[in-house]
Amino acid sequence: MSPTSPRRAAVLGGNRIPFARQFGPYANASNQDMFTAALEGLVARYGLGGERLGEVVGGAVIKHSRDFNLTREAVLGSSLAPETTAYDVQQACGTGLENAILVSNKIKLGQIESGIAGGVDTASDAPIMVTEKLRRKLLRVNRAKSTAEMAKKLLAIRPTDLGIETPANTEPRTGLSMGEHMAITAKKWGITREAQDELAAASHQNLAAAYDRGFFDDLMTSYLGLAKDQNLRPDSSVEKLAKLKPVFGKGEGATMTAGNSTPLTDGASAVLLGSEEWAAEHNLPVQAWFVDGEVAAVDYVHGDEGLLMAPAYAVPRLLARQGLSLQDFDYYEIHEAFASTVLSTLKAWEDEDFCRDRLGLEKPLGSIDRSKLNVNGSSLAAGHPFAATGGRIVASLAKMLHEKGPGSRGLISICAAGGQGVVAILEGA
Amino acid sequence: MAQQETFDSAPTLAKVFVRAALAGKKSGSTLPASELVLKGHTVDREHLLDYQRLCGFGVDDVLPHTYPHILGFPLQAELMARKAFPLPLVGLVHVENVITVRRTLTADDVLDVSVHAEDLRDHPKGRQVDLVTEVSVDGESVWSGRSTYLARGRGNPDAERGTEAPPIPTGVAAAQWRLQGDLGRRYAAVSGDVNPIHMHPLTAKAMGFPKAIAHGMWTSARVLAALGRSVNGPSTSHVWFRKPVLLPGSVDLVVDRGSQPVVAGLRSTRKPETEHLVLTFARR
Repeated sequence: MSPTSPRRAAVLGGNRIPFARQFGPYANASNQDMFTAALEGLVARYGLGGERLGEVVGGAVIKHSRDFNLTREAVLGSSLAPETTAYDVQQACGTGLENAILVSNKIKLGQIESGIAGGVDTASDAPIMVTEKLRRKLLRVNRAKSTAEMAKKLLAIRPTDLGIETPANTEPRTGLSMGEHMAITAKKWGITREAQDELAAASHQNLAAAYDRGFFDDLMTSYLGLAKDQNLRPDSSVEKLAKLKPVFGKGEGATMTAGNSTPLTDGASAVLLGSEEWAAEHNLPVQAWFVDGEVAAVDYVHGDEGLLMAPAYAVPRLLARQGLSLQDFDYYEIHEAFASTVLSTLKAWEDEDFCRDRLGLEKPLGSIDRSKLNVNGSSLAAGHPFAATGGRIVASLAKMLHEKGPGSRGLISICAAGGQGVVAILEGA
Repeated sequence: MAQQETFDSAPTLAKVFVRAALAGKKSGSTLPASELVLKGHTVDREHLLDYQRLCGFGVDDVLPHTYPHILGFPLQAELMARKAFPLPLVGLVHVENVITVRRTLTADDVLDVSVHAEDLRDHPKGRQVDLVTEVSVDGESVWSGRSTYLARGRGNPDAERGTEAPPIPTGVAAAQWRLQGDLGRRYAAVSGDVNPIHMHPLTAKAMGFPKAIAHGMWTSARVLAALGRSVNGPSTSHVWFRKPVLLPGSVDLVVDRGSQPVVAGLRSTRKPETEHLVLTFARR
């Protein structure tokens, strides 16, 4: 039985704050501050003040424990009706896109008429944790019933227990950083330094060109004095990138530099979705239809798949369900966690053995027209505040598809920590 | 005709207070005609962020309803510390404050801030004066504030008390805030208002208070922040300060949203009959 879709979910617009480099202009802004600002910009642009929406779904990958209700708090701090429900999702870098899938699914099922999907992350205002040993001892102190017992437990704390830890970009099960994981995959797929630098330079040049023609004018509101993504280097070139030293991978053949890897970034994004009827009632033109989404996970711990290769598995499943081929798209938005992530994924889809042995396909998915890839830049240039990337891509792609016209198609692919990948298809309206 | 005096940067309040403390006895029944002007003030974003955080406003590019007040306050103090000003600065009690926001202001607006004194008048408990702060952007009047101060002394029992505050809303608290002992010092660091009554229990005792007291304009800003984002848009607020908030301490926020304008109040958590402020707020 094929799943039936009772009605369609529309992408109506989006808003984000420019992304800032770690310890940049947003160094003192919290996740809640930034997500509220992104929400508020969206509310202002689409006249949603005082409106009760179906739901707002947000989240952050790096979150303080006090921010347990981060998205709900942001809603209460916004001009949306306080009766708007909200919840947090955390699926690493896939958070934002997963949220769009969740909201669109509820709209399709008729459970809600409208919703906002988004995400936020700060690499600057990060929680600080004490060492695990100290944390356990402090909890014991806190449990102590008498002053004497408390003193005894306090005395159990040794100078060597002291120290602080900040969240690290490291896989808990492997102890390897994301970059180190990616370096293994890049080597396996034979991704060259030149190809990575080319992709990085294109990302910067495309993003700069998009700013120049005003593409982001109705997708962004300035925040704390920043009006453009801070990481953007319009004059980036392959020659300049070639001068950088590799930072991930070891010795001869190391290819990954700070230039072809995304920097740590602060930022937030939000996308407005709704039913066709709700959009019409609010006089909001539909930019794109949120067709379908798929999530895959790979065994990067015991298996031999790369940490960031899950989208390579999610996309063919989604294509099969929708009866489409990889070439049936006008735009491809493949999140540039690292330039080599994009290139490894594309190479895997072209590879006969991979497509047969891993994906169980008779023939490879094939190549894509590279001129349709990340045409307005992607994370290498814009930066990548983990949970905010999905919202950035959905809003931008919806606008591109709307400009292209009805029936145009776009594919989104986002890799995530933990060996997961979130992908989706949008159709122009 | 007002005499304009232009400042390139705001006067340092610590110096103003010292000067005022040494100024000696003041008298007279006329106000100085001076208008003190701070021209072309660009908002310091770090300062704005500190203010937003401390008062409970969202951290973004919009200037809080009460923010321009702290830009004008150093000019107010400078004017009131002068020999020509008939009332003593030290000991003045801030009793009322009215703010009108004509348009939403952002951190990108370059502000001209001017302050003058007007309407010196008798009060049953002494004498009152209004310090008027006008803020404009490119000649357009965007924000006005009127701060009423009372100098306790020989009053005139027949004098008018001014506009009556509405009764403080009753019922359960909408929120309860535990205020730390260092709140006065923290607000002083942001606002520059280093009046000893706010700084430390000992300096407050020297001035006749049992403990350090919260700045009135912090309490009013905190209440406005709790009313939601619309306070930063075109609107008018009127606050009447009652009993000071002793630090540390707990206060209850009470709000009546059903009335027009909205009425909010701050009362003591421990002794609900102690009212700290009553505030009305209306969007324009």
